[in-house]
Amino acid sequence: MAIQYEDVNDDIRRIFLRGRLDTAGSEQIAAEFAALAESAKRGVVVNLSDVTFLSSMGIRALIASAKAQQAKGGRMVLNVAGNDVVARTLEATGIDELIPTFEDEDEAERALLK
Amino acid sequence: MPSSATQPPAELTIRGDTWDARRASVWLASVALAQNVPREQIVRLDHCLDEALANVIAHGGPTALASPVRLQFGVRRSEGMCTAELAVADAGVAFDPSRYSPEPAPRPASLAEAKPEGLGLVMIRNFSDDLRYRRSEGRNHLTITVSWTEAA
Repeated sequence: MAIQYEDVNDDIRRIFLRGRLDTAGSEQIAAEFAALAESAKRGVVVNLSDVTFLSSMGIRALIASAKAQQAKGGRMVLNVAGNDVVARTLEATGIDELIPTFEDEDEAERALLK
Repeated sequence: MPSSATQPPAELTIRGDTWDARRASVWLASVALAQNVPREQIVRLDHCLDEALANVIAHGGPTALASPVRLQFGVRRSEGMCTAELAVADAGVAFDPSRYSPEPAPRPASLAEAKPEGLGLVMIRNFSDDLRYRRSEGRNHLTITVSWTEAA
């Protein structure tokens, strides 16, 4: 499981997750993801397009960080561009209704600035 | 235990830890592909397996972690109706997923209300077509079933 990030500007951070976000993978990146996602930036886009598997542990990490970011007055959104497997998992658990989910990076970032 | 008309069930024994859970996932994909299970069904089973093992590791207690977890996998086909069964047997505290999650959990109305606890059970129920549980000789036996149709 790999994690990288890019600060687009003073307001937006992109976080890229890559690989299998199963129980083991989620444990592997949990602390680093939380530190990056609960950011001083106003908005965070988590790119899941290269995630091959998303478990409940991975979803838990997304929810926790989204809630933390919201509590600080910020927002977190998800980009699942081209990843049907992850999109279906988010839909099956209703998470796509709690954390705004997009198929396009630009659309995701525009949503953060609203 | 599940068995196809032509093959005995595939078996694997793992430790109760997250890295062996990943080994189990690799095994599942391998044996399922070998029996021509469609990729979409393998994904469903993979989710159920990861969540079932995560429950064993997180909630099964010391006996679950100290004892092997046994997996069996088999496929049955009959006139275009196909069923794949994945059985997970562990020595943890007694736990029946169907009993503790009889109805789909109501979805939270907002992010602030979201409680991630129990998501694993939600996912097992969402991704499977049937769940059967029994307790025998100090072990939990959970059988996860997915079904699909193929051109006969």
